[in-house]
Amino acid sequence: MSVLLDVQDLQTRFQVRKGFVYAVNGVSFQLDQGDTLAVVGESGCGKSVTMLSLVRLLPPAASIESGQVLLRGEDLLQLNLRQLRDVRGGEIGMIFQDPMTSLNPFINIGTQMAEPLIYHRGMSKSEALARSAELLEMVGIPDGEARLREYPHQFSGGMRQRVMIAMSMSCEPAVLIADEPTTALDVTIQAQIVELVKELRDRSGVAVIWITHDLSVVAGIADRVIVMYAGYIVEEAPVDALFEDPRHPYTVGLMGALPSLAGETGTRLTTIGGSPPDLVDLPDFCPFHPRCPYAIDRCRKENPMLEPVIDASDGGHRAACWVDIREVELEAGAAAGSV
Amino acid sequence: MTTQEITPTDDFGIAEASRTNLWKDAFARLAANKLAVIGIIPIVLLFFIAIFGPYLTPYDFLAQDFTARLAAPSSEHWLGTDELGRDVFSRILYGARTAVAVGLVSTAISLIVGLIMGSLAGYLGGRVDMLVVWLTDMTRSMPALLLAIVINLTLKVPLEAWMEQMYLATKNGFFRQTMWVDLVLVFGALALIQWPGYARLIRGQILSIRSRNYVLAARALGMPTGRILTRYVIPNAMGPLIVAVSAGLGGAMVLESAFSFLGVGVQLPIPSWGKMISDGLRMWQTHPYLLAGPAVMMAIITVSFAWLGDGLNDALNPRQWGG
Repeated sequence: MSVLLDVQDLQTRFQVRKGFVYAVNGVSFQLDQGDTLAVVGESGCGKSVTMLSLVRLLPPAASIESGQVLLRGEDLLQLNLRQLRDVRGGEIGMIFQDPMTSLNPFINIGTQMAEPLIYHRGMSKSEALARSAELLEMVGIPDGEARLREYPHQFSGGMRQRVMIAMSMSCEPAVLIADEPTTALDVTIQAQIVELVKELRDRSGVAVIWITHDLSVVAGIADRVIVMYAGYIVEEAPVDALFEDPRHPYTVGLMGALPSLAGETGTRLTTIGGSPPDLVDLPDFCPFHPRCPYAIDRCRKENPMLEPVIDASDGGHRAACWVDIREVELEAGAAAGSV
Repeated sequence: MTTQEITPTDDFGIAEASRTNLWKDAFARLAANKLAVIGIIPIVLLFFIAIFGPYLTPYDFLAQDFTARLAAPSSEHWLGTDELGRDVFSRILYGARTAVAVGLVSTAISLIVGLIMGSLAGYLGGRVDMLVVWLTDMTRSMPALLLAIVINLTLKVPLEAWMEQMYLATKNGFFRQTMWVDLVLVFGALALIQWPGYARLIRGQILSIRSRNYVLAARALGMPTGRILTRYVIPNAMGPLIVAVSAGLGGAMVLESAFSFLGVGVQLPIPSWGKMISDGLRMWQTHPYLLAGPAVMMAIITVSFAWLGDGLNDALNPRQWGG
């Protein structure tokens, strides 16, 4: 399949009172047409900032220092604002974490949904409303026509997220960026939203970037996974390879924190102690080493690059770690438990 | 589904949905609010009297009847007469003009200043924001009446002297009317007292709405900035502002009365309620109706504006609407 979105060496930092916080540090990844890429990591790992950087929706304090975001070969970072607006919503749709506050409370759903269609597709108001009603039914909201007149507060959280999905998909974008769209929802609703996006993806062929810290969602929807830590991609792999053969200690830690039906009862879930750092300097050490049970001296002196792993089951499996963690498995098991 | 099928067949069709906007819904909400509707009546009456007052009054507001000085309310003088034999009812009707003029003009000035300062602070942030907040803090830290008295005492004489000079230089009759000095000073003082409230409100609204998720979502959908401002930021900022303006109109009228009471208010040939209250206060034990007329009017108008403001707040806040 052809490469749709090619992100090269993206760097984003925030201006703070004293200097900078480095949020995204040389992130590169590719997204194929119709593919689903999951981006995993704790809060504060740079997942959202990376995705907001793609369409330059960053807060004023943030600036993109370098890199390229090539959508079908065109660098989005070089576009002027007018061209960029055509990409936002037109080529790249986005869904956000909190559906309760993502809709304008002052405008009814119909008017709100019609706006991008009028703006991007040049539809008349009545055409746009007709299309919006269809879209509502498509995302599983029955009686779409009647509900167009209603206001956001008349919708439940799950319904609002469906509306957001319908809006972001309304102009048939090539890429859908979903920034933790299920985090704020009930578990049953979460599953429904995941299923909905899968269905829409399969029907429309949209490529999806799914940001989450929930690995169980990843297994169900993604083709490939990127694991981010402190603004770096620390591991990248096809979804099966990642789950069967994780090579970065952070990935292992995330999986250890995942409850499993197959696991023995009575065992404790492991946790990763501490939280991701805010980098005020670009590190000359592995940013994960303070929390890493596998850390060796080299981790404190050099920051590992993302490189293909040894004995990979898949060519696309890469990790950024000095240690081959398979060789220290037993010792590490004890160490991880003690963290 | 085609466009044809969704052509509205009844009042609740989709085409209706596009027309049913916030303002229409809000109006329906307002009309259903009893207190707000009760509040609207005196306000409409006030504006009506302010415009047509001179044609409605039974007597001229300056006409003195020395045979009926300090007369009690009667069929001839509905609210009695003052110590110069002037009809109190007529003077109250004329006073509506002053009240409305003071309320509208001073609120408009302070709103414009507040809008500019507040939006600048909210949008630009940083040093501009700090400066505006500092200015509002400074202004608000001074007692309102003291500020008005100081302005009046320090500026009135030089302004009048300047007007006299201009008259001597140009022979333009306009500069002979010292009424303008009064108006400028009173409106200026009221605006100075009131703008920080509006500025802070608008600044806060812009700061909070700018960071709302729906603004981010609208940007992510590629909506242009102008459209985001008009469709997302301004409507969401309007509610509290309309309420504040509604309360501010009443507040400005009360403040003007306080100024008049202290002798720094509008010294127009047209009576002001505040002036009437302060005049009536001297004799309230023997002739309470002199005080009661304008005071009751003032109270009714203030309460009406407060009720209307409350009703507007509820009407403009869809989150409070039931299903």
